[in-house]
Amino acid sequence: MHACVPAPLRPRVEGNRGERESMMNRFLPVVVCWCFAVAAGGWASADDKVDYLTQIKPVLAAKCYSCHGVLKQEAELRLETRSLMLQGGESGEVIVPGEADKSLLVERITSEEGDRMPPPEEGGALKAEEIALIRTWIDQGAQSLQEQAPSDPREHWAFKQPVRADVPQVNDTEWALNPIDAFLAAGHQELGLVSVAPAEKHILLRRLYLDLIGLPPTRQQLHAFLKEDSTGAYESVVLDLLDSPQYGERWGRHWMDIWRYSDWYGLGKEVRYSQKHIWRWRDWIIESLNEDKPYNRMVVEMLAGDEVAPTDPGTLRATGFLVRNYFLFNRTTWLDDTVEHTSKAFLGLTMNCAKCHDHKYDPILQTDFYSMRAFFEPHQVRLDPVPGETDLDKDGLPRVFDADPDVPTYLFIRGNAKDPDKSRTIQPSVPGVLAFEGLHITPVSLSAEASNPALQPFVVEDHLREAEQAIESARDDVEMAKQQLAAAEQAASAIATTATREAEAPANSPVTVAEAEAALGIAETTLAAAELRPVALRTAHAADLAKADSSPPEMLPQLVSEAALAARKYEVAKAEKAVARTQQELTAADSETRTNAENELTTAQTNLEKARQQLAQPGEDYTSLRASLRAANGYGEYVAGEESRRGPFANVSTGRRTALANWIASRKNPLTARVAVNHIWLRHFGQPLVESVSDFGLRANKPAQHALLDWLAVEFMENNWSMKHLHRLIVTSRAYQLRSMLLGADESTKKADPQNQYYWRRRPLRMESQAIRDSLLHLAGVLDATVGGPSIAADKEDSVFRRSLYFTHSRDDRGRFVSMFDDADILSCYRRGESIIPQQALALANSKLALAMSRQITARLQQECGDATDEQFITIAFETVLQIQPTAEEAAACREMIEKTRAALAKSNHAQPVVRARENLVHALLNHNDFVTIR
Amino acid sequence: MNGGFSHQQRDCDTHRRAFIADTGIGLAGIALASLLDRDGHAADVVGRRPPDGKPHFSPKAKNVIWLFMRGGFSHVESFDPKPALNEFAGKTIAETPWKSVQDPERLKNLRVVATNQDTQRNKLFPLQVGFKKYGQSGIEVSDFFPHIGGCIDDIAVIRSMWTTDDNHGAQVQFHSGRHMLDGLFPTIGAWVTYGLGSLNDNLPQFIAMGPRYFDKRDGHYLGPAYDAVTLKVDPKNPLAYAKPELDLSREEQELQFELIGRLNRFQAAQRPEDQSLLARIKSYELAFRMQTAVPEVIDFADETAAIRKLYGLDEAETKPFATQLLAARRFVEKGVRFIKIMHGDGAAGAWDAHSNLKSNHTKLSAQVDKPVAGLLMDLKQRGLLDETIVVFATEFGRTPGSQGSNGRDHHPFGFSVWMAGGGIKGGIVHGATDEIGFHAEEDPHYVTDIHATLMQQLGLDARRLEVPGHKRIEIDFGHPINEIIA
Repeated sequence: MHACVPAPLRPRVEGNRGERESMMNRFLPVVVCWCFAVAAGGWASADDKVDYLTQIKPVLAAKCYSCHGVLKQEAELRLETRSLMLQGGESGEVIVPGEADKSLLVERITSEEGDRMPPPEEGGALKAEEIALIRTWIDQGAQSLQEQAPSDPREHWAFKQPVRADVPQVNDTEWALNPIDAFLAAGHQELGLVSVAPAEKHILLRRLYLDLIGLPPTRQQLHAFLKEDSTGAYESVVLDLLDSPQYGERWGRHWMDIWRYSDWYGLGKEVRYSQKHIWRWRDWIIESLNEDKPYNRMVVEMLAGDEVAPTDPGTLRATGFLVRNYFLFNRTTWLDDTVEHTSKAFLGLTMNCAKCHDHKYDPILQTDFYSMRAFFEPHQVRLDPVPGETDLDKDGLPRVFDADPDVPTYLFIRGNAKDPDKSRTIQPSVPGVLAFEGLHITPVSLSAEASNPALQPFVVEDHLREAEQAIESARDDVEMAKQQLAAAEQAASAIATTATREAEAPANSPVTVAEAEAALGIAETTLAAAELRPVALRTAHAADLAKADSSPPEMLPQLVSEAALAARKYEVAKAEKAVARTQQELTAADSETRTNAENELTTAQTNLEKARQQLAQPGEDYTSLRASLRAANGYGEYVAGEESRRGPFANVSTGRRTALANWIASRKNPLTARVAVNHIWLRHFGQPLVESVSDFGLRANKPAQHALLDWLAVEFMENNWSMKHLHRLIVTSRAYQLRSMLLGADESTKKADPQNQYYWRRRPLRMESQAIRDSLLHLAGVLDATVGGPSIAADKEDSVFRRSLYFTHSRDDRGRFVSMFDDADILSCYRRGESIIPQQALALANSKLALAMSRQITARLQQECGDATDEQFITIAFETVLQIQPTAEEAAACREMIEKTRAALAKSNHAQPVVRARENLVHALLNHNDFVTIR
Repeated sequence: MNGGFSHQQRDCDTHRRAFIADTGIGLAGIALASLLDRDGHAADVVGRRPPDGKPHFSPKAKNVIWLFMRGGFSHVESFDPKPALNEFAGKTIAETPWKSVQDPERLKNLRVVATNQDTQRNKLFPLQVGFKKYGQSGIEVSDFFPHIGGCIDDIAVIRSMWTTDDNHGAQVQFHSGRHMLDGLFPTIGAWVTYGLGSLNDNLPQFIAMGPRYFDKRDGHYLGPAYDAVTLKVDPKNPLAYAKPELDLSREEQELQFELIGRLNRFQAAQRPEDQSLLARIKSYELAFRMQTAVPEVIDFADETAAIRKLYGLDEAETKPFATQLLAARRFVEKGVRFIKIMHGDGAAGAWDAHSNLKSNHTKLSAQVDKPVAGLLMDLKQRGLLDETIVVFATEFGRTPGSQGSNGRDHHPFGFSVWMAGGGIKGGIVHGATDEIGFHAEEDPHYVTDIHATLMQQLGLDARRLEVPGHKRIEIDFGHPINEIIA
């Protein structure tokens, strides 16, 4: 191929994308050592040997690779290795070892014509010292170590769109019904693996219940299922469970792990992390799951609910995903967390590794990290009012919004926020390797109510109701003050007539007449002010509404005047109240405080005078209703108070987060569906298809079940991203229903696939901490089925019988019992641990919760089958707690324990040895390995 | 089949089941390894059989107290004085006679994870503390550690450590021998307890105290049974749920635990491959005994005022670490095999003196110096130092060059640790860095050489502990540092 135009090194320019793609090969570990020598560069003299790896390559990488590298080869040229340079492009070789002057590379980087490389619009020319180094290097023979040209990261399995492979044909008809099974059986066939038999019905039912709703079946449900012979019995249980509200609670907790749910924490009342009332996001998760909201829609709502549904409080809750990252002290930490966990949770990308330097493994440049940050740069967190409550400390809606569209994003040199590179403003964009289509960033204009929530009708109504209540209570106060005055007067006249009984007077009336008069003065002025408040509220609201109207009505000036007049009247009433109060203080003053009190009274009277003058000329000022509060961005703002943070807020949102969300939620995104499917699979099977659940980058090897993963990802997307569809598909597969026990399993299969990568068996799982506590309560029949609501104090975990996901879960506050069993780490929990430590044994053996529940379970069983023999009771207890019947030897061991316990109790004169022995048996069964294990 | 849905309907091996039922008698106190061995079907799915708990050859030591300073203490301001840093202070490395230390070939072991450090810290930073000679041996120790200096004749200082991670993942590397990018592997504490088991059936064999961050587990593929049991030294609450919170007598509970053990063993007979089940059986046995044993050990009522003073329990600054170290001695007396105590809060670890090195190390050394010396003296006077190895380590050293105006950066190429007791020579220095403390030059040791030395003293051959399916590589095993072994 010959070049027709003499521009072999000319890059194509596409905004900052070119530069983003530069250094795309840095993820290769070949070049681990550059960092040391970059600084050592400097001027090269002819004697010093120039080191290619540390002095030349970094320059070429920064300046040239974007267009002449693995992702793009302008003029057919790549420059990443010496041999590629010798191979050259359309104009032939670009270096001539030993002869810098004859090298095209030097010619083009030094050219002063329009063909200088890199072209001006792409970036600055190479520095003189860099050019000198390149010359010297070529003159010295252009030596380098053998290097391998980087391979194209776009070829990485997870960066290519999943394709639905044909479902394999398999011989075993049992494995041909469900496509999941067909894919797995194909692997079994190929490797000669023999799968174990399906689990027994009782095991299966318990597995299914715990998996789908996080609670074991009751004894009655168990027996009903065992009796049912019809082929559709299992499927119908699956459907029932997926339909139950407890499904959303169970799987909601899983997604809360992944999405890092945390209640607020800080120091005392100071909110430093997350926000108050973040439980609304938790409820949104539960509700969304229960209504089977498409996963991609959930992603959009969580990242940009405020832009796609600006006035829908139900959707705004979803942005709790972002709110959760709030950090009072450091905006960069806050945004770092946002970028890191948005990338990990939805994309399985470790963007965080590119904060200080280009990613060491993945094609993610440092610039990409900041381009991702730019999506979030304008956003802030605020609390909006909710109907029925005007105090945001008591209730509110935490949500995000774009506060300032103009805040620039800069790259921080080496990740140091104190060292921003202000030469270039970073625009929002996604890593080049995943840019399957252009981003469409469209600003969203917000309605008046969206940018100023105080305009919502309920806000003024709530404030009016409060004002009316204040009037009522002020009236009561006036009545009371009148009575006190009367009593005081009566007492005074009594004293006057019977001076001898002076000593008793204070008992009848604790206050003097003067004091009572002063108090009445306050009460009456308070009432007067309170009575003016509703008018002030109403008129201010009407004026605000009219102002917010896109075409303000003609009567706007009149409304404003009315509001101003009402405001002035209210101010006068308040000033009168202040005078009354200072008068009272003066009455009560002693010689020490008198002067001060007099001064205060004078001030109050002056203020009143001013207020009256202003009433004569009300003007146009009035106090608008404020109902929202933006979270302080930094400690200084926190200390400065709330006034500057009360809104109204910007009436346009940048649309950046919507664009990002749409890109993530796109069917073309190769990662989103795969990552979600992997998370769902992990929680059904206890082992993921892709081991590194939050890293699908180049270090994630192609999984053994790649075809299955991709098939599921496509199936997921084509079924409207329905999670329930996936759940159904998975739990009805044969693979899901296999036994977990290995006795009798094929020996060669055990050896060939000990890690069960081909799913020839089932892995037993340890219940998550929340499931353990919930199951205890459920078996005792005390579990409160209420769904949703404010977080419950963590220290009430053994007295309030709600499901565990409703309790406070933050760094500083979480249930003691649940924290024993590998509870979710609020900072990062893409996968729970399954430790086995003696402390867990102690928690189940000694906690009030386990003890009380075992006694409660026993009480229920005694009531249901009061006349049961020990033998029968043991069976019932097994069926209730473990959903299994005891073997003969198990029953014998239990009988022996009951008898010994009873004897011991009788000896110590226990009041109820029979019941207590049974309680202790039930408690022992709660400590059985099979209670905490999902077989 | 009994017509129902019990465990028994499975095709279980009744002979084996009967066997385990016979041996598994409740609270007799059988360590996991030996329990599994006696049961005769310890092999898991890959045919693995845990060791029998006996040393492979005659041991010189029984216990390990592993003290780890998180964040990386400065080797040149602790145990490896470098006067050249004062002499050449302010000069770049290239301007000194030791320019070659930065030869890329000599830096090639480094595996960078993520660091702000794009360049070497080139400008030499003078020593922030003075040194004195201590003891018969006259080994120099910095003024940050005068009390440890006083024990120097019992200590073998190793001045030639190196590692490959220049970030705090090196903490993990020091314990597992593997760079964090390779994944998480069993730690030295897990290997020791895996190989030897417990000396006391009432206490965990492996105890951890203090903060952890990068890796909160130890067992990894060896299983959770080899994770350290984390304790707080709080006599009122050493252990959560240490006693029943509703009325339940000891006698009743004993019968319960006996039943739990029996029922779980019936299961184990059918699921010999289920390591989690075996770990749970063990955890229950241990839990029952720990209820009384742990509070007893942590109750210091019988310690004399002199002992408290020796450790520094009487001073606010030293008390937290002193408390942990005194507990460690008491655990050693009770036969706990491996006690790991981490010092230095925060994600990176408090010793991470990127700035204000002098004030940082002044404060932190004051917290540990006296307690550590107290521990050594106390062990010695009780004759326990002969059989207890004390390790004092950190993840890497700090750069000879300055970071900012008054700090030092991470430095994996050369750093110091020390060992004492358990047949380790006292009063010797082994290995050396170059004159500016850059590279471990003479007798360099990778971190697993410390593991190998421990294993040798404990009578274990790490190669014989290898688990099928988890091939270890050469660097995992390390080489015992014979020069410091008495």
